[in-house]
Amino acid sequence: MTSLDAVSVYLPPTRLPIEQLAGSLGLTEMQVKLFRRFHGLREVGRDPDMSLSDLLMKAAAGLDALRGQEHRVRYVLYARAMPVVAPYPVNALHEVCRALGLQHALAFTVTQQSCASGLMAIDMAGRLLAADTAPGPSHRAGDPAGPLALILAGEKAFTHDAQVFADTTVFGEGSAACLVSASGARDRLLAYASNVRGDFDNATGENDARLQREYRPLLAEVMLRALDEAGLTLDDIRVILPHNVNMVTWQRMCLLLKFPRDRVLLDNIPASGHVFCADLFVNYQTACARGLLQPGDRYLAAAVGAGGGATFAAMVFEH
Amino acid sequence: MATPETGVGAEYQQRVADTMTTTLTRLLDRSEPVTVDMRLMDELGLSSTLALELLLECEDELEILIDVEQMDQDQMKTIGDLATFVAENSRPS
Repeated sequence: MTSLDAVSVYLPPTRLPIEQLAGSLGLTEMQVKLFRRFHGLREVGRDPDMSLSDLLMKAAAGLDALRGQEHRVRYVLYARAMPVVAPYPVNALHEVCRALGLQHALAFTVTQQSCASGLMAIDMAGRLLAADTAPGPSHRAGDPAGPLALILAGEKAFTHDAQVFADTTVFGEGSAACLVSASGARDRLLAYASNVRGDFDNATGENDARLQREYRPLLAEVMLRALDEAGLTLDDIRVILPHNVNMVTWQRMCLLLKFPRDRVLLDNIPASGHVFCADLFVNYQTACARGLLQPGDRYLAAAVGAGGGATFAAMVFEH
Repeated sequence: MATPETGVGAEYQQRVADTMTTTLTRLLDRSEPVTVDMRLMDELGLSSTLALELLLECEDELEILIDVEQMDQDQMKTIGDLATFVAENSRPS
C-alpha cells in the first residue's frame, strides 16, 4: 500500500504582506482588502534571490530519511501547478537530481492537473512502485529495502499567473520533498478520488461563473467518494488537510460538509498563502507539529487545480 | 421586517437592506435601482467575488464586522435573505 515515508518542507523566512505586492500584481485597494478580510490571506513567502533549484533543494536537504538510501530511489516526480517555472534552459528537476545523487532515477514532471498535481504525483508514484514490487520469486512484503519514489513540489512565483489567481488566492513560495514507498508503515494511502473537468477551461472566462457555482459541490463529491472507497465516513476523519486557496472557500466547505471548522487545518493560509502543489505537505507537517495526528488517525487531503480546466481531488490517509 | 427570535431590530435590518441595494446599484452600474426582492445570482448575476465586495462595503458603511463563517451561500437567494443574514450575524467594528 502506498505510503508517505518521510516529508520535509521549506518556507522562506522572508515574508511579504500582500499590500506590498499589490503594485506589482496590479491589485486594487478593494482586492487587497478582500484578500485580507475574507480570504484570510495576509502574507506570503518570497525569496527573489533564491533559484528554483535551491528552493527545491532546501526541502530535499531536510529529508533525513533519504540519506544513504539514494540507490533505492527509482522515480523522482516533480509535482507543479504551472507549466512554466523557470526560463529555458534551466531544468531545476535535473539539477536537484544531480545534487542529490539521483541521476539513476527516472525523473519527470506532473503538471497537467495544476494545483491538484501533488495528489496525482502521490498516486502515480505509488502505482509505479507497486508495479515494480509486484509479487514474484524475490518479492518480500513490506521489504524495508524496497524501491522508493521522491516527490518534489514548490515553485517560484515566476510569472504573473504564478503570483496571483484573480480574486481567489495569492501564491507563496515554498517547497516540499516526500519519500514514497509501496509498503511503508507510515501515512498509508487508503483511497484517492479525482474528477478531471476539461470543460472548465478558463481561456475565455466564459466558464468562470459556472466554476464558482460548482466548485464546492464538486470538491465535496470527490472527498466523499474517496471516503467511500476507503470504507469510511467524515466521522472517521481526524483532520482535513486542505489546499490553501483561501479561508472563505473552506469555511463554506465546512458548512456544506457539516464538518467542524476547527478540524480543517487552515493555519498556513494567512502566513504562507497557496504554496502551489506543496500545500498538502506543508499542512501535513503543521498537523504533525501541532500533535493533531496520532497513530491510526485517518485524515483527508483535498485539492483543486484550476487553470486549463479544473481537477478536483481527494486522498484518505491513515497516520 | 422585525425578527423577534434573534432580537434584531427592524430599523437596523432596514438600514442593512438599504445599504445593500444602494451599494449594489452602484457596483453593478445599473440604471434601474436594485430592490430587496431581487435574486442575487439568477437575476443580478452576482459572482462570489462581487458578493464579498458587497459585504465589505457594507462593513465599511455600517461600521460592522460580519461573521461570514456562518454564511451558507446556497441559502442566500435574494438581497433580502442576505440582508437578514447580515443583520443577524454582525457586530459593531
